[in-house]
Amino acid sequence: MNIVVCVKQVPDSTEVKINPETGHLIRAGVPSIINPYDHFALQSALELKKKHNFKVTIVSMGPPQAKSVVQMGMALGADEGVLLSDMAFAGSDTWSTSYALAKAVRKIGKIDLIFCGMQAIDGDTAQTGPGVAQQLGMPQVTFCEKVDVDGRRIIAHKQIDGGYEVVEARPPVLLTMIMHKDYVPRYPSFLSINASLKKPFHIWSASDIGAEAQFLGLKGSPTQVDRIYPPPQREKAAMFTGSGNEGMAKILEIMKAEHFLED
Amino acid sequence: MIEVSKKCIGCTKCVPVCPFAAINMIDKMAVMNEACTLCGVCVQVCPVQAITITREEASARDLSGFKGVWVYVELTETGDKTHAKKIKQVTFELLSSARRLADELGEDVCAVLLTDKNHNYEKELGAYGADKVYMVEHDELFEYNTDIFTTVIVSLVTRHKPSIMLYGATIQGRDLAPRVASSLYVGLTADCTALAIKDGLLLQSRPAFGGNIMADILAPKSRPQMSTVRPNVMKMNEPVLGRSALVVRESAKLDKSLRRVKVLERKISHDGGGMKIENAKIIVSGGRGMKSKEKFKQLDELSKLLGGVVGASRAAVDMGFKEKTHQVGQSGTTVSPKLYLSFGISGAVQHIVGMKASDVIVAVNKDASAPIFNVAKYGIVGDVHEILPKLIEALKKN
Amino acid sequence: MASMDTISRNLMLDSLREYAKRRIPFDLIRELDEKNECPTAILKEMYDKDSLGVHLLMIPEEYGGVSGGTFDIYRICELLARIDLGIATGVFATFLGTDPLNQGGTTEQKEKWLKRIASENLLVAYGATEPDAGSDLVNMRTRAEHVVKNGKIAGYRITGNKQWISNGGIADMHTILAMAPGGPSWFIVETKMEGFSANKHEDKHGIRLSNTAGLSLDNVYVPAENLIGLEEGKGLLQAQAVFGYTRVMVAAFGLGCGLEALEHAIRYSQQRIQGGGPLSEKQGYTHKLLVPNYVRLEGARAYIEYTALKLDSGEHGLQTEGAIAKYGASEWGNKAADDAIQALGGYGFTKDFPVEKIKRDVKITCIYEGTSEVLEMTIYRGRWQEHLKSRGRYYLDMADQLDQLHANEPKVGAHASALGLRALAAILEECRVHKLTRHQHVTFTLGRLICAAETAWNFSIAAAAPKYSETIRFDREGWQAMARIFAREAALNTAAEGLALVLGAADSAGNLADAVNMEAIQIEQKGMIADMDLVSLKLKQTFKAK
Repeated sequence: MNIVVCVKQVPDSTEVKINPETGHLIRAGVPSIINPYDHFALQSALELKKKHNFKVTIVSMGPPQAKSVVQMGMALGADEGVLLSDMAFAGSDTWSTSYALAKAVRKIGKIDLIFCGMQAIDGDTAQTGPGVAQQLGMPQVTFCEKVDVDGRRIIAHKQIDGGYEVVEARPPVLLTMIMHKDYVPRYPSFLSINASLKKPFHIWSASDIGAEAQFLGLKGSPTQVDRIYPPPQREKAAMFTGSGNEGMAKILEIMKAEHFLED
Repeated sequence: MIEVSKKCIGCTKCVPVCPFAAINMIDKMAVMNEACTLCGVCVQVCPVQAITITREEASARDLSGFKGVWVYVELTETGDKTHAKKIKQVTFELLSSARRLADELGEDVCAVLLTDKNHNYEKELGAYGADKVYMVEHDELFEYNTDIFTTVIVSLVTRHKPSIMLYGATIQGRDLAPRVASSLYVGLTADCTALAIKDGLLLQSRPAFGGNIMADILAPKSRPQMSTVRPNVMKMNEPVLGRSALVVRESAKLDKSLRRVKVLERKISHDGGGMKIENAKIIVSGGRGMKSKEKFKQLDELSKLLGGVVGASRAAVDMGFKEKTHQVGQSGTTVSPKLYLSFGISGAVQHIVGMKASDVIVAVNKDASAPIFNVAKYGIVGDVHEILPKLIEALKKN
Repeated sequence: MASMDTISRNLMLDSLREYAKRRIPFDLIRELDEKNECPTAILKEMYDKDSLGVHLLMIPEEYGGVSGGTFDIYRICELLARIDLGIATGVFATFLGTDPLNQGGTTEQKEKWLKRIASENLLVAYGATEPDAGSDLVNMRTRAEHVVKNGKIAGYRITGNKQWISNGGIADMHTILAMAPGGPSWFIVETKMEGFSANKHEDKHGIRLSNTAGLSLDNVYVPAENLIGLEEGKGLLQAQAVFGYTRVMVAAFGLGCGLEALEHAIRYSQQRIQGGGPLSEKQGYTHKLLVPNYVRLEGARAYIEYTALKLDSGEHGLQTEGAIAKYGASEWGNKAADDAIQALGGYGFTKDFPVEKIKRDVKITCIYEGTSEVLEMTIYRGRWQEHLKSRGRYYLDMADQLDQLHANEPKVGAHASALGLRALAAILEECRVHKLTRHQHVTFTLGRLICAAETAWNFSIAAAAPKYSETIRFDREGWQAMARIFAREAALNTAAEGLALVLGAADSAGNLADAVNMEAIQIEQKGMIADMDLVSLKLKQTFKAK
């Protein structure tokens, strides 16, 4: 089988703050990382590759420095890497991004499985994976923890609201992955990083993948960002210090004042 | 398109403010690279107005005739076919929001219900604000399936042209909505926490970067404007009993071959018969500072006394103090009880994102600089292991 | 070897960082430090080519390594030092031990040994130092005597003692410097060879996770093929050829330790409330304990990178540059770690916070690979020759270069740096005229002044570059303010101390007071507080409280 893994380079989210005076993002020194869900998706795909000798191609879209996440994927074992990089993609929302990724997958060729992370930690939308599946007319299984392949059967363990399901599908199918709890992210060795430089790597523009400009970038994106601003600040907590009886009395007093307990 | 004119004086003011590190100074001119998302922050700071963004209008699509605020009705998966499914609370939250939006627009609220069997759902939907229910009853709709549900929703939207459509940002809503949006080539905003009308458009507010920033999103060029909305955030209206919705039955041609993903096994975690954490009015929550599984059990006792449900931070769950179903936070459940009592939780960002919408937060922690105090209404700096036994004792006496 | 591309290098750094996060948490380091124990298993795992393979940086690709350049090695060394300088030293020792082979080994020797080091994850030790021979290897006592068979030299018998050898007690193989009949020579000695033994692990002030032991060689038989380069008497040349970049590595250690300690302090200062506000808002704190230290280390970083890039572009030797890089980074790193303890107050003095350990660790960077005093002498010697050769123009030319820079980029402190260099040129000239370098104190002090003045020169140039190095975590505004602060401090110290030095040694100082142009240097101090305020803010933004 042929597998494509879609990954995104994201800023390490917890370090992004807004300057309260100017309303601008402060990004000094914020490192870029592979989106953690994508990292898990990649590892899931590579485990299948190891077991069944599948071919894995890793695809990302972003500025030239996003090559980093593609190369990391190759260092971890992917056979080939693709970076979609073109000013024409700038400003793409999830619709346009899935359109471009779907075009890239078509160009790569006949694909049996597509792995995506459930969502990216910078946008938290969880929309790009299903968008790609729809554009390619593929079925999807979202929020998966585990995927097994048995001949032509794809068996996935997925989360649903309030529980989980085991589902079956036939290729081609797109899977979006959540992280299961005992997962340890792997990082490549120095030797494999060096070796990854020799694997086939392509940078494709919009025209390389046959994407039409009218569906790309800001022009092609149905949604627009109207404004970015810091989340509203709460008023400062009323603080008290005291353990034992003092603390206990204070909690009771608060609960009475807020009408959770009767006087 | 973003362009920098010759007016640029190379002052570099735009370089540090760019959220995406997309600006380089080349020969004392600002030059944007592929990371640019056309967000416009640089335009605001440029002292000489050298940066312009031209937003080309896509070939104008006919937006007239799109009317009505739709809500996708989500039913519980019961795990078997003998029990009637219930409407999820998030649906009522959406209807309450939709009511407000529709009134402002002077349009109708319509609930969209896909099921194998109707159980007088229109009564409840009406009570929470629906004027109309588009109902599709079909055997193939006995459980949620991405392909089948997408097909039905797309055909309904194409037929009736709503201006707005809302889904719960649940696993199901987030599986379904992007397929519909992708198929219709319309805008979809994920996981909204506030909705409003601005100049006739749906203004969708949502957190990004793990809750560190907020963004307002518009979808001016396509209809319907679609959002998934985070559960437990929107205020739910009091139901108006006896207000029933008009049922409009819709047919759907569904073929078995549409079911490309088959469910082999389903397990619904029944939460010990107790109340679910996302619906709790009072949550008593503990973190790493509870030290052990034994000591964590005091929280069970306290929550019983208060009539609440026990929550846990990710650290507490990872350390085995409490089951994962009780986890509050980004990787657990988002909650918004009336009272959130936290013990020994320092307040990692991912935890705070999941509980900060609570009405009253009372936090107990021995570290005065714990971030949990930034979102708490009341903070108590003290040892939980000294306070908890006393508190339980006092409440027992009452 | 040229360095690799930025992306590959950063991927390696990420892998190392993640490994450390997972396998070497602070609690473990603290415990090992307390027990004075070297985590050999962790070192072995870090050397495992399938897991990480840090040591492969030093080994060319054709022998199974990844052909790292000096810039790569500097980056990895800085990160290693931030993790733990003891562990870093364990890696460094292998780098160092591999060096004589890389420099002087024959193709067959490299083929055999480098391949083995790469694929068998061998730990290597570098055996040069002896009880009576530190940086002056000339007094070495270890002897290698010929063993003749059938009229041919079949091997050597080595006898002697080595002292303070990093990895000495855990290495699989050692490169040992010994006096052969033809002069000092390097030999490959395997731990299992008869007559070879390691002494007990030293009980040290710092880097307690690094195994340090003496070696005893009692008539150890080594086959002739283990003589590196198969030629006697090349040992000192082979050792000195790499001082440029081995010192860049230790410089990176000083830098990494100093910055790690300071970053702890910067984060802490935003949480600690004193007198109604966080410490990070108080100049009496930030402008004394944080800002000057950070600025000096950024200066050191710029100089390390300057030297590393020169080496990567194929320049050889660079002994003086290597000495300046190491002397500045280690002395300023040591000072920064000391001030970081002060910045954390009582907490800094406890073992619950890592700064106390960093302070004990970083001290070694002022000692190994040439003590600070040896480096002061090295720097002075190197540049004194340049001063004489150029008839006093050496620093004046550099100052002229800065004047041009200042015309284009007035915000990088180039003017102040130029004033510092001119003052330095005047002082050197005065020393020549009055023959003051007969005083050893004068020469060593000059070494120190040169280090700061040249670092200022380089910092101004680096801060004016159109594109900054991948390592700079600050925007142009912030980094240029740092360059200005550095330049002012360096100019002021050069002029004031240089003048005092000459006055203390000479009968009269002529018109040196005019020549150092103290008045202009004082005028240059304008804006210092505002710049420190700005840098203080940038530090706070970049290293937010956790």
